[in-house]
Amino acid sequence: MTALLHHLEVPMRSKKSALVHRPARGRRGLSCWMVLPNSVAPDAVPLIAVHGIQRGAYEKASRLRRRAEALGRPLIAPLFDRETWPHYQQLVRKGRADLALLALLEELRMEGIWQTSQFDLFGHSGGAQFSHRFAMLYPHLVKRLIVGAAGWYTFPDATEFPLGLAARQDKRDDWGPRMEAGLERFLRLPIRIYVGEHDSQPDDNTRSGPEIDRQQGLDRLTRAKRWSRAIQEAAKARGLRPDVSLQVLPGCTHHFSDCITRSELTHLVLPDSDDIGTANSKIAKA
Amino acid sequence: MTSYRTPFTASLAGAKWAFSTRRVQQSDIVGINDRIEEARSGDLVLGRVEQIGSHKRLQLTSGRGSELYPDDLVVVACGDRYAPDQFEGIARLNRQSSDLLASGGVLGQMRQKNGRIGQPTSVVPIGLLTDANGQIVNLSSYAEASARPSRRPTTIGLVGASMNSGKTTAAAALANGLRRAGHRVGVIKITGTAAFGDYNAYIDSGAHFVCDFVDAGMVSTYRQPVKQIETALELLLGLAGQAHCDVVIVEFADGILQSETAALLRSDYVRSEVPSFLFAVPDALSAVGGSTTLSEIGIEPLAITGVVSQSPLASAEAEAMTGLPIWTRDALCDPAKANALLASAASAAPLCEAAA
Repeated sequence: MTALLHHLEVPMRSKKSALVHRPARGRRGLSCWMVLPNSVAPDAVPLIAVHGIQRGAYEKASRLRRRAEALGRPLIAPLFDRETWPHYQQLVRKGRADLALLALLEELRMEGIWQTSQFDLFGHSGGAQFSHRFAMLYPHLVKRLIVGAAGWYTFPDATEFPLGLAARQDKRDDWGPRMEAGLERFLRLPIRIYVGEHDSQPDDNTRSGPEIDRQQGLDRLTRAKRWSRAIQEAAKARGLRPDVSLQVLPGCTHHFSDCITRSELTHLVLPDSDDIGTANSKIAKA
Repeated sequence: MTSYRTPFTASLAGAKWAFSTRRVQQSDIVGINDRIEEARSGDLVLGRVEQIGSHKRLQLTSGRGSELYPDDLVVVACGDRYAPDQFEGIARLNRQSSDLLASGGVLGQMRQKNGRIGQPTSVVPIGLLTDANGQIVNLSSYAEASARPSRRPTTIGLVGASMNSGKTTAAAALANGLRRAGHRVGVIKITGTAAFGDYNAYIDSGAHFVCDFVDAGMVSTYRQPVKQIETALELLLGLAGQAHCDVVIVEFADGILQSETAALLRSDYVRSEVPSFLFAVPDALSAVGGSTTLSEIGIEPLAITGVVSQSPLASAEAEAMTGLPIWTRDALCDPAKANALLASAASAAPLCEAAA
């Protein structure tokens, strides 16, 4: 792996991992921050960590570095810059943030950063919006989905997209039905949802309106609970056994730094094994 | 290990080996006989180009087209050809002069041709190539060994209303979209005549695994027993599974009225292995008539695609009359859209495992 890093900036190193910045390739390419453990097993599942609207890709990588390093798992934190990707959270709006991430991941695979067929996908706030929608479009790529404090969600119901999966009346060819086509596979995913205990007040970044408020509630805490319930019910309605959990992080607000320092969020995002039970036991359940 | 060639095999190396012979181990060939009239489908023929006609190039094993010149020596395979836009011919050789039925290297006897094209390139068969046991070398000896895949890929079939309806473009576009969506994609051409056009188009799409009936030991599927083509499909799907493909696109040549394709679409085996189809058509009327024909045998395509999709007006007509969505090449190339199409196909085949 060392040879691969010759093309990358290496701003700081520890004995066990490198925290590196990879510049974007091309005008619509994504840059990213990566945690690259010195020793990575071929079957080590990478974690893709998607920032919120503050574009804190470096923060995601640096805050999760030690844990990724300990587990020997690569971490990739893409950066959707404000100019090119103002609406990256909605995934399929102009510019197609989903395609940009796919292209980045393909390049990184070619560079040997990751080798598995799937990855874990984690997003906080706006990144959580991106992540759950990405997983709805590409459920086969996601091994485990972690959705943190999203402002709002796409629900697995017949509400018009993007609130739900029905086609909008003015769209002959819409994204909701495409997500619905893969919904069963999405509902089979292990999905971990978290939200801060005190993330219960709408703020300037909380999308609101009669329809969304009626469907999802007024604040992130309520919306997380409703979405969690909705995807569990959708799974059960299809005869599936949902593997979904909602964690309310005690004493935490909306901020990622707050969640990461006040709770054991790192263990929820990067558990000891595929068995999330250990991590769950460390965090107060909703 | 020291290798050497007999004078005969050394001289054969100077001939142009057609794409149809790509699987042949050239060192196996040690002799030639002149039992020209006994040739059957798949037999290897050494021939001399007599007169350049419709096919001015021969597709080589290397994957490029070679300009043909009079008196070129060529190694081709005896075979049948079904091509409404070109020739219909059978696997029969005439020692005075035979017909190059396909530029992939198929030699036979033309029975009829499309009025818009000229006469076939004529090739004089010099003899049939033989192995160390004196047996005529046949492509069937070079079929891939059967595989035991650990998984069963999701399959999507591609059928068309006719030749040149856009099947291969659609298959390649879908392969590209699915590959970009992170799938491991295989593409199989299960019927037709040996040629590298479609084969190369699949490779160019980025598909991880590409094969055709030649890999199952056939130079052409025209006039071959349906059971044999089913066996070929079983072999090639197994190879795709062995190559760890989680999705396989299976293209059927020509139109749904072509005899072998029509029989395969009615085959219980094919329908169990390929439960979902895209239908490529050149125009709206073909969409209507073709979807009706498919409906009569119980096939409801996932979507219509092909040449018709280039025309918004024709697409609107086709969609209005069939109720089926129209997929353009660009839509098939889109990872998210292709993935949704695959999900629809997977739901049509609940026993299939869609991906890793």
